[in-house]
Amino acid sequence: MKIVTKSFLRYLPRRLSLSLLQLLGVACGVAAVVGMTLSAKTALTSFSNAVEFLRGKATHSLQRPAGPMEEVLLAKLSRDPSVDWSSPVIDRRLRLGHGELVRILGIDPFLDRTIRPEILRVRFPKMNETDPQRVLSYLLDEKAVLIDDDLAALLGLKAETTFETNKGVLRVVGTFPNPSGEPLILMDIANAQRIFGLQGSIDRVDLILSEEVGFRERWKDGFVIQSSQQKSATFSSMLDAFRLNLEALSLLALFVGVFLIYNTAMFAVVSRRRDTGILRSLGARRYELMVAFLTEILILGVTGGALGGVLGYFLTRFLTELIGSSISNLYFFLRPATTEWSAWILVTGIILGFGASLIGGAIPLAEMVRSDPIKTLSGRVASRGDPRKAKKTALAGCVILGASSILFLLPDAHIYVAFAGVFGFLVGVSLLTGIVLLYLSPGLKWALYAIGKLPGRVAAGNIRQNLGRTSVAVAAFMVALSMSIGLGAMIGSFRHSLIWWMDTQLQGDLYVGKIDEAEVPEAFYDEVRRIPGLGGVHPYRNVQILYRDTPIYISAVDASVLQRYTRFGWVRGGNENWEPVKQGGIIISESFSRRFGVRSGDTLLLESIHGPTPLKVSAIFYDYTTEHGLVMMDRSTFLQTFGDRTINNVGIFIDPGNPRRDELLAEVKKRAHERGLPVQTQEQLRASILEVFDATFAVTRSMRALAIIVAFFGIAGALLTLFMERRKEFGIYRALGFSTSQVAQMTLFEGLGMGLISFLLSAGVGTAVALLLIKVINLRSFNWTIFYYPALEPYFLSAVTALLASIGAAGYPILKVCKTYPQMQIREE
Amino acid sequence: MRRMPVNEPMIRISDVWKEYNHDGTDMPALRGTHVEIWTGDIVALFGKSGSGKSTLFNLIAGLDRPTRGRIEVGGQDLESLGEKGRTTLRRVRLGFIFQFFNLLPTLTAFENVFLSLELADKADPKVARATLGEVGLEGKEHRYPHELSGGEQQRVAIARAIVKRPSIILADEPTGNLDTATGNQILDLLTTRCRDAGTTLIMATHTPLTCGYANRILRMVDGIIVEETSCGELAH
Repeated sequence: MKIVTKSFLRYLPRRLSLSLLQLLGVACGVAAVVGMTLSAKTALTSFSNAVEFLRGKATHSLQRPAGPMEEVLLAKLSRDPSVDWSSPVIDRRLRLGHGELVRILGIDPFLDRTIRPEILRVRFPKMNETDPQRVLSYLLDEKAVLIDDDLAALLGLKAETTFETNKGVLRVVGTFPNPSGEPLILMDIANAQRIFGLQGSIDRVDLILSEEVGFRERWKDGFVIQSSQQKSATFSSMLDAFRLNLEALSLLALFVGVFLIYNTAMFAVVSRRRDTGILRSLGARRYELMVAFLTEILILGVTGGALGGVLGYFLTRFLTELIGSSISNLYFFLRPATTEWSAWILVTGIILGFGASLIGGAIPLAEMVRSDPIKTLSGRVASRGDPRKAKKTALAGCVILGASSILFLLPDAHIYVAFAGVFGFLVGVSLLTGIVLLYLSPGLKWALYAIGKLPGRVAAGNIRQNLGRTSVAVAAFMVALSMSIGLGAMIGSFRHSLIWWMDTQLQGDLYVGKIDEAEVPEAFYDEVRRIPGLGGVHPYRNVQILYRDTPIYISAVDASVLQRYTRFGWVRGGNENWEPVKQGGIIISESFSRRFGVRSGDTLLLESIHGPTPLKVSAIFYDYTTEHGLVMMDRSTFLQTFGDRTINNVGIFIDPGNPRRDELLAEVKKRAHERGLPVQTQEQLRASILEVFDATFAVTRSMRALAIIVAFFGIAGALLTLFMERRKEFGIYRALGFSTSQVAQMTLFEGLGMGLISFLLSAGVGTAVALLLIKVINLRSFNWTIFYYPALEPYFLSAVTALLASIGAAGYPILKVCKTYPQMQIREE
Repeated sequence: MRRMPVNEPMIRISDVWKEYNHDGTDMPALRGTHVEIWTGDIVALFGKSGSGKSTLFNLIAGLDRPTRGRIEVGGQDLESLGEKGRTTLRRVRLGFIFQFFNLLPTLTAFENVFLSLELADKADPKVARATLGEVGLEGKEHRYPHELSGGEQQRVAIARAIVKRPSIILADEPTGNLDTATGNQILDLLTTRCRDAGTTLIMATHTPLTCGYANRILRMVDGIIVEETSCGELAH
């Protein structure tokens, strides 16, 4: 290795603590990206595997636009010339005794063996060819089920054991291998029809078609036909917005990590200035210095990246569970597989660290190449607190802010453009940090003097004088705190908006039944309606259909009941909007309106059992149940359009002030329990919705924490850097009579000062980020309006974080001061 | 680089000006300096702090460029050499010794000297070790600068400068950071080595101690070089 390069690299072990800090900062940034990307990929791959596994060899599926279809159609289907094979399916959810929600497929094992041969590799216990009764018990016993091997292991079940479900006790007759990520139970279709009350009906038919065009032509009216590719694409698109936001979160952590690398690289340049001058005077070429510098930076980047890859793998284990649980809560249940270790994880971490090093090191490298050896040798370097440089940097920051603003203002731009705008905004404000520090410097001096007297004032001066170092650390910390405030404010505003929405829509006193879990028999609805004294009985149906090949949701409601008992969050107008709904019109959610460009007064063409059916949109309402879009209609319209009599949930409304309120509610509960139907009060329903909401943002919270950790390393690194660069000054302090504790206090106040400035800046920037997330990102990702609710909590949390992180970051430098200061003298070298 | 004819000076400085702009005002460090220095000259360049000695050295070494005027080193105009040529000049033909030693702190004594050879494409560890022995540092090759005394560090700096057998050595206050006894040792070592090798040596200094070692004495006053004949005149 060339001596020039060796002279640079020897600093790494010499300044081990600083090198380690910088390494850890890079590692954390890379870990966040690797962890998030890997866990999202694992969850989404598990989902794809589940879809593939369940699809089997089916090329298409046929179902009604909404609700179950008639079993009698099977005969006609089997005679269709395009159908090679068909298998009817009941596809429902079962809640197990300990709470887990599991998919149950009701299939005909003889018809389905061609569609899903993998599933039917069942292991029956004590397979006895002379005892066909046992083999046929799956068909004959109406409680018999097959469960997948992993679920059996999880529940501690084996053949001939029983387990509790919300549909009663079921008996395991065998297990089957399930490589997908989804827990699965199989039941004979006839038995499934019985336990779900679907006699004469099925959910869909999975098909193997020899020819598609003719088949679509013959079955186009009143049915939805999806090819397997369409189905996969449909499922994927449901997760698009979710996936995008996960990626953006991980990139945020790397963004903060790049700052750290920039800080590292800039420190390397600055601390090597004299060495660079010596080497240039001895005849070293610029490119030789570049090679030495890049080698140092890349060692840190690559090593940090490798470490980050490993840390990211362990982080994956934690995040995969969170993401899987979010997907399960919001979309469909998923049990993501554990991520297997692979050398590619390490390689990915190294590439990320390498790339981040190049980006973060570019500007410092340019500065090093341009540095004047005469000035560096004479000590007349560009002042570390050069206002001109800060002004130039601020100008560049303003240009970037301007460009980012244009990105936000572009109408209908892709969400990636909006994310680029947010990142550009953060880069722009980061570049303004130097100039802001300069202007805030007198105020900081006053504040630190008030707290710490002379050491405080000196500390404020040091922050100002070493702008090259402190501004970068402050910028990184500010970005992390701003994201914490921004995300916190956005989540808080979202939560408030959700609570507001629940106030508008969820006004029932009791809710019987749970969507995706237990349907409410129509007989129960009829029975409850006849109870005298009840104000309103509201039958609710929520089902996913396809609109323009995109999944959306349809809700069937009792418009009269809702008009009387709720105050919907209308975009325009009030409850008079229900009148057209009672006459056959529909209302749409804001996300539907934005997504498909549909306005009030437009006509939608929905695929019904009669073919395409036009329905007029009478109003738009705010809704957060689904970002894919919701169409709401009166139950009578729904029955006419889709012929689906399913009721997912019955809401019970009691008039305010009714003296028999408790008695009536008790009566409804009693009748619901008699039928084994779950019951929730309004408070319980709201609480469960908020629980799902809070769990969904657990991933976001973990990313916020990681970004703060990365920035913490930045502050610690900056403080250590200042300590190392100013040893000569410390010799002067000692000569002047500063005590060790005073110099230690100075170091503490430098940390506190940087933390304070970071927090003050983040308060403004974080608010701006919150508004961007609410008004731009969320709007373009999910197509819904979140109302901004200013709250103190995110700011308070960030203030505490800034305080604790600053003190923590100053800890090690203070230790170094206490250890070395008593021996310091004024030396030139 | 081309071979020097014997009747040409090693260094020729003709009407060289160097002005620095400070807050909009031009401040000249050198004002029409003229001097010729011949091969083998041992020159003591006196001047107060701020008189322009270091500026002159930086110009001769090609680290800086004059505002106007011409500098020839080894018969070649530095301006025409370009940045690459000037860098090669410093790598091959020029040695630099500084007041504050300016050793690279992360390299050992041996590595600091070997660096010079490596840059000059003459990488030979034996030569580096031998040169350290010549300056009296045998056995201390593996010590880092902070493990050496001031005098030892300056010896390493001298070794670094002479190891590549340069044509010119520029020594900027070589004893400025040393006590008198050590300073004398350093000057003795440096001038002896240069005389033996026929190396042109220019020492910037403000102490008359250097006088006795030089065969030419120059004085820099307000950016202009004046030739002196003896150290006695320096007192005035």
